Amino acid sequence: MGTDKIILALAGQPNCGKSTVFNALTGARQHVANYPGVTVEKMTGWYRYGDVRVTVVDLPGTYSLTSYSPEERVTRDFILHQAPSVVVNTMDASSLKRCLYFTFQLLEMEIPVILNLNMMDVAQNRGMTIDTEALSRGLGIPVVPTAITKGKGKTDLQAAILETAGQVLPSVPARVDYREMTSYISSLQERVTALSDLGDLYPLRWLAIKLMEGDEAVRDLVREKTKDYARLLAAVDQFRQQFRVAMDTAPDMHVANCRYQAAEGIARPCITRSKKTGKSLTDLIDTLVCHKIAGPVFMVGVLWSLYYLSIVQGYQITNYTWPLLAGFRNLVSDVLPIPGFIDVPLIRAFFLWLVDSVNALLNYIPIFFILFACIAFLEDSGYMPRMAFIMDRLFSRYGLHGQSTLPMVLGGIYVGGCAVPAVMSCKGIPDERSRLATILIIPMLNCLAKVPLYVLLINIYFAQHKGWAMFFISTISMLMVLPVSKLLTLTVLKDKEAAPFVMEMPPYHLPTVRGVLGCALERVWLFIRKITTIVVALAVVIFILLQFPGIGPERMDHYQARRDATVSSFYEEIAGTGYEADMADNSLMAMIRFWENYRNKKMRVKNPEAARAIDTEFEAANARFFSLVKPGRDRDAKQVNRALKTLIRERSQLLQEMRAERIDNSFLGYAGKALVPVSQWAGFNWRVNVALLGAFAAKESAVATLGALYEQGGANESLETRMARGEEGFTPLHALALMMFMALYPPCLATSIAVKLQSGSIKWMLFAMGYPMLLGLVVASLIFTGGSLLGLSGLQAMAAFYLLALGTTIAAGFITARQADTA
Amino acid sequence: MKPLKILMVLFAFGLFFTGICQAHTPLFSCFDNGDGSITCEGGFSDGSSAAGVAVRVVDKDGKVLMKDKLDKFSEYTVKKPAQEFSVIFDAGEGHQIKVPGKEIF
Repeated sequence: MGTDKIILALAGQPNCGKSTVFNALTGARQHVANYPGVTVEKMTGWYRYGDVRVTVVDLPGTYSLTSYSPEERVTRDFILHQAPSVVVNTMDASSLKRCLYFTFQLLEMEIPVILNLNMMDVAQNRGMTIDTEALSRGLGIPVVPTAITKGKGKTDLQAAILETAGQVLPSVPARVDYREMTSYISSLQERVTALSDLGDLYPLRWLAIKLMEGDEAVRDLVREKTKDYARLLAAVDQFRQQFRVAMDTAPDMHVANCRYQAAEGIARPCITRSKKTGKSLTDLIDTLVCHKIAGPVFMVGVLWSLYYLSIVQGYQITNYTWPLLAGFRNLVSDVLPIPGFIDVPLIRAFFLWLVDSVNALLNYIPIFFILFACIAFLEDSGYMPRMAFIMDRLFSRYGLHGQSTLPMVLGGIYVGGCAVPAVMSCKGIPDERSRLATILIIPMLNCLAKVPLYVLLINIYFAQHKGWAMFFISTISMLMVLPVSKLLTLTVLKDKEAAPFVMEMPPYHLPTVRGVLGCALERVWLFIRKITTIVVALAVVIFILLQFPGIGPERMDHYQARRDATVSSFYEEIAGTGYEADMADNSLMAMIRFWENYRNKKMRVKNPEAARAIDTEFEAANARFFSLVKPGRDRDAKQVNRALKTLIRERSQLLQEMRAERIDNSFLGYAGKALVPVSQWAGFNWRVNVALLGAFAAKESAVATLGALYEQGGANESLETRMARGEEGFTPLHALALMMFMALYPPCLATSIAVKLQSGSIKWMLFAMGYPMLLGLVVASLIFTGGSLLGLSGLQAMAAFYLLALGTTIAAGFITARQADTA
Repeated sequence: MKPLKILMVLFAFGLFFTGICQAHTPLFSCFDNGDGSITCEGGFSDGSSAAGVAVRVVDKDGKVLMKDKLDKFSEYTVKKPAQEFSVIFDAGEGHQIKVPGKEIF
């Protein structure tokens, strides 16, 4: 052995159960990061076997080791430069032949490889028997069969890893016979040795094969590491040209062919198929699921169930989990410095804000758990690639990918999704350009939180045409998202990697409860670990923007005077009741807190016994106070009780006014005012600006903030009447502009964090926050200013804009579809 | 054209989703003031205000006894009905909470 530390790399094709093997080996001891410069996730974990600590790196799933996609390059670079002690090549045993193509490429890199035949159970169910010993002899490397989801073979694999790691191989691994190219390869090997010292750094034969294949990344490597690269590359080009002329075939095609034939030659003798005739179950299911008409219907059914289970039912579950989070907030609130009558200590305000921000995200956990479980189910079952296949024809026209379907449904293709789980589910999209495009457009879909504002505005300004207005706002987001995605793909994302749509259709198999739940639990846990740090950073920044500079000393004096007046009128009210001494000075705040605590506790109880227990508890804590909270028939106590209620209400009023004024006088408030010259074209005044900026924390609060802005009227008026009256210049055109701006509005705090996690860069997060703002302003200005100039009514402008968006969407679909992919 | 057809399918299936309009977890609970009145307080789990949300007091057959909206403090105070009753917080479909009178203390 010699080492007590092993670095193990897991490599293999997508959908071969590689992640399951990774999870089985490492358990919860995992860490996720991104490979530098790309959005490919780097999963590492470790386990202990005997005295040896094994670090496991889960390389991204790839079909080949060329340099077409970031996944392939990441995998190859890791094997070349990090020199793992051993590579475990996990594969789906039932597709042995196709997977060996990849194995040969690993073997050419001259590293110790273990072949892990996973999903043996599936292969057996399909009537396949694989002679693993013959396979091991044929390949000259250890072969370990496993069925990890059934819990079989893990120890064998670990033992083989320990045995193979860092060892000189007992036998020479099999080589692909490149036939006519063999002589070219050896000549090229000699040339490389003569012209450079690359042979000391990299496996020589591998280098020669790659150069013959015309691999761009390897040519770059030569340019980077060799002084005399020009001569070497000229020689390579000459060899390639000679071969092409001599064989009348492209060198890379020849290489691929030889590899396939070698795979076939090794696999065929090792596999025996039982005499099961007729179609396999997979083929039977596929005739239905990939059918021209039944296929999309089935897909809609699957997507609807997924949406229903995770979003609708998930929200139901939050009703039960929320009290836990609320309880945590109460705990924090209890240890923080207590608030005064109107002054809340900054530290208290800050920590409560922090807990609220974290809680808002943790509240998604039930939704995520169900969602991740559903996705794991679909992935394990093998349906996912089929769904992507059906949708890719439409989506590829807009720079998206077949696998963008799921994120878009979750984000709210119609009304009522949530961008956070949607962005989180973009992980599986294999092509970097489409993945980023999907991540960037998801926040424009109709998330649940935008709905209250739409309903509010439609009820006031489009009351006569509610149905049409709702249809407009529900479908317009789709018509915005597709052209915008196209636009992004053609501009900012044009240099990103696009991969051809290559997806294999793995055989179906029934996922196991263990596999699905394990995967869901793990992803939820990773989510929790990741968000906590980022949410804290962002919450601090927004807190400062909302809190400072705050209310000036003059206005503070004004509020203090009002406080004093309120308190002294309270004392007048209770004069002569015998309770004056209990309420003096500091005791007054103690009384208010006692009252609030009592009320909060009583609100949570559901049966008379618990209610009585709370009464006893509070009476024991302070009998005098308790007699005021529950005055019974005592005339004096009743009088104080009434006065206290008034006092508490007036305090709430003061606190609310101060909160509104603090926002107006915050950096965010100033920004709202500074934006007026721009936003006036969209018909927004500074109050609307501030409300919209404040909505970044969570879109629901836009409704609350707009409510607070227009509340000058009587308390009993509804928000609708207040808004209709409070802004006399407000027309349906204003409302339409506001709705469209909201539709395109930057992602909320939680989504921004998800964007950061999935794109792996702050830069993209900032871009995702910035560009919708600009786009929203442009669209809102187009509607408001354009509509005003043309003298359109709100409804006319709505129809005109809808037709414009529809036209743009159709036109965008016809602009050259997905270039650079056909290469 | 094929993409158009698929778009139509998407919209049609989107129709399933209309009406499911909800924000974050809604909260609603009531308190007996001990003076013959009750006070109910609404809100959303992310701390947003529920000001302006509709509330109804109904009897055991669902007949509406009183209806109003939450005030600017997201509160609603009402005289306790003599018969069996429930208070309903109605922030849109899928967002309703019903608190039975016999669970208010």
